[in-house]
Amino acid sequence: MLHAILHELQIAPGPVTMQQLSRKLGVQPGALEGMIQFWVQKGRLVIDDGMNGATEINVCGGKTCLRACPGPAQCPLVSDPLTSYTLQRKSKD
Amino acid sequence: MSEFTIALAGNPNTGKTTIFNTLTGSSQHTGNWPGKTVARKEGVWRHDGDLFHIVDLPGAYSLSAFSAEEVIARDFIVENQPDAVIVVVDATNLERNLYLALQILEMTPHVALALNMMDAARAQGLKIDIPMLSDRLRIPVIPMTARAGKGMVQLEEAIAGAAQKGREAKQVAGFEFTPPFRYSQPIETALNRLIKAINQQHPLKNHYPERWLALKLLQEDETCIEKISAIPGTDDLLALARHEATHLHSFYGEDLDTIIAEERYTWLNGLVQQVVQGRLQSPTFSDRVDAVITHPVAGLFIFFAIMWVVFKLSTDVAAPFVNWIDTFVNGNFAHWVTELLALVHLENTWFASLIIDGILAGVGGVLVFVPVLMFLYMGMAIMEDSGYMARAAFVMDRYMRKLGLHGKSFVPLVLGFGCNVPAIYATRTLENPTDRILTGMLAPFMSCSARLPVYVLIATIFFPEYRTSAVLTMYILGIIMALIAGLLLRKTIFKNSEASALLIEIPSYRMPTIRNVWTEMWQRTRAFLESAATIIMGVSIVIWLLMAIPVSGHGTFADTPVDDSAFAHLAGAISPAFEPLGFGNWENASALISGFIAKEVVVSTMAQVYHVPQEPQSGAEDAGFWAQGKDSIIGLFQATVDTIKSIPAIIGINLFPPETESEPPAMMTAIRQGFEQSSGGYGALAAFAFMVYVLIYSPCVATMAAQRQELGARWMWTSIAIQLTLGWILAFVVFQGGKLLLS
Repeated sequence: MLHAILHELQIAPGPVTMQQLSRKLGVQPGALEGMIQFWVQKGRLVIDDGMNGATEINVCGGKTCLRACPGPAQCPLVSDPLTSYTLQRKSKD
Repeated sequence: MSEFTIALAGNPNTGKTTIFNTLTGSSQHTGNWPGKTVARKEGVWRHDGDLFHIVDLPGAYSLSAFSAEEVIARDFIVENQPDAVIVVVDATNLERNLYLALQILEMTPHVALALNMMDAARAQGLKIDIPMLSDRLRIPVIPMTARAGKGMVQLEEAIAGAAQKGREAKQVAGFEFTPPFRYSQPIETALNRLIKAINQQHPLKNHYPERWLALKLLQEDETCIEKISAIPGTDDLLALARHEATHLHSFYGEDLDTIIAEERYTWLNGLVQQVVQGRLQSPTFSDRVDAVITHPVAGLFIFFAIMWVVFKLSTDVAAPFVNWIDTFVNGNFAHWVTELLALVHLENTWFASLIIDGILAGVGGVLVFVPVLMFLYMGMAIMEDSGYMARAAFVMDRYMRKLGLHGKSFVPLVLGFGCNVPAIYATRTLENPTDRILTGMLAPFMSCSARLPVYVLIATIFFPEYRTSAVLTMYILGIIMALIAGLLLRKTIFKNSEASALLIEIPSYRMPTIRNVWTEMWQRTRAFLESAATIIMGVSIVIWLLMAIPVSGHGTFADTPVDDSAFAHLAGAISPAFEPLGFGNWENASALISGFIAKEVVVSTMAQVYHVPQEPQSGAEDAGFWAQGKDSIIGLFQATVDTIKSIPAIIGINLFPPETESEPPAMMTAIRQGFEQSSGGYGALAAFAFMVYVLIYSPCVATMAAQRQELGARWMWTSIAIQLTLGWILAFVVFQGGKLLLS
């Protein structure tokens, strides 16, 4: 099951949604989330919520973003981005 | 009376706390687990004269010791050895929840499974074969809906039974149990060797569940190894564990942790396939909708159709409000300000000019477009709230990948529709520096909301019948330019970078709530109004100052023909660069210069440089303040009615009576004349080329600062050079190409 996730991502011609993968593998979506978390903890998948960088910055105080953007928490112009997972080449372990 | 200890375990949000509260009622106490900030809840439950100490373990998905909650739950079961463990699972999410149950069953057989949320499972069409589940796991399984109190009596009996069995087992020396699940033969063989070795170590045998300990040693669990190595005489056991682990690692070619998790998941998947029938077998309504919405071709057309509706709302439906604000700001409000200035004897002074020609013309010129932005933000909020935006990004990503862009590039690019600055910062999530730089250079091509008022103004003047299509064209052109520029840069500067496999979480479809949509729309509008009160007002004052200073002719400060002003001369020096593009007069050049600061000020600058003092409506000056105020309120009401009547126009139903051609506002007429003159009679072509240039050239100083911070000065300047050059070339092609076609 776990390796099937990595295999499906490797052979997919484009991005894959959780729903598609869940159906393809015949796994309940919740269980797939658990398996994804396992690979994230192992370093084989890298999670990206789209604003990892921006949320570290907090200089413009929710006013105008002249030098930096405070991220979705404070800047209303920022949409809540998607969460995605990227496959890493081979684990460090 | 006997006393028992019961642990309550489960994944987060499975209803564990509801069961705990129902059992213990008011006899609870809360504290913290030793050395942790995780809350510890305990309570007492009495049943048939026995006393049960219920310990609510923190919610955890597994016992793999990745988090504090997992460590606490694991240590409590292993070290405190409760008489029974009650595992609460969510019946709608059985496969994931059973992973924890399976791990607990490797520690103790005295478990009962509370199969909670059965009502939700039934509502989702899931049928669970409970006797089979109980048989396969070898434990009692109690279907229940804790929230409604259903199944509690049966659970209480199961707890008492499991606790009694657990107590009896503790009193039997050398009690052994067979877990419901067995690993593949090489692992089982290694486990048996280790169990044998553990059994020879009496302190260990009495203190830890042997199979669980053997498994942890094979997995080279650091915490466990540390504890065991502190016990004298365990060196041989640890050496054997290391040997077995090394052997298995080379046998499987993967770390044992992964192999063990893999086998557990595979077994659970088989189990769930057997005991659960329903949803997984047949696609849901959401799946069927997604098949169309995320289809490579249909999905693209749906995306553009939805964007067209959003721009139709932003242009045509918002138009009555735009007209009302325009009439109000330039009519009654300007009149009141003039009256007020006269009252304090400041009429016909430089201060009056600053207020009327500077701030009111500049800021007011942009405020007119607030309804346009509000409708755009409303459209975006609906798309986000309903879960559509994620699907649109998914559809677009397919095309980005085909052009060699990184799979994750779409996130920054989609953010760019709202504002380019966060889009630049979002590139931080790309690990590869070349991907980061490339995406950071492409993000400004995505048309941010600040550019919308420019498109709407120009489209309303020159393409009133097709303004929605004209605006949509700009957005599509921005996407196309990003893709083409990405392709070119990938083939030239950024070679040898591979796209990586990507998995995307797409939210479920939801019905957008009025409250959410309003909140998001208002927050974004407020941010725009804040920029109007700061950047736009600041730039308007600077521009007024430059327009007030005479550098030729006989005018004086704040009383000079605008053509003789410093601003006209400054912009006039740059305007020849735009002559081949059809908008080479100083007025348009000045709007583009100020647009470097922020795109919001393009419209305010045009409002200032093309400002024509509005003639008061006949009789308006005679009407009193209250009468004018009443007129404005009636106008607002009429605008609201007209907006509602405009909505069916989206699908081609016109509820308005045919009206005679009305006189466009003076500023619009002045802009049209300006473009006609600068383009030699090809005003519409020049206006379209102007929109293209506004789309492509540098968005604002904030974006440039973000690029400098994230990509470095070199790439910022490269990006600016590309934007200016590409914008010029495209606008040239539009204007000169269009002229050739028309002539």
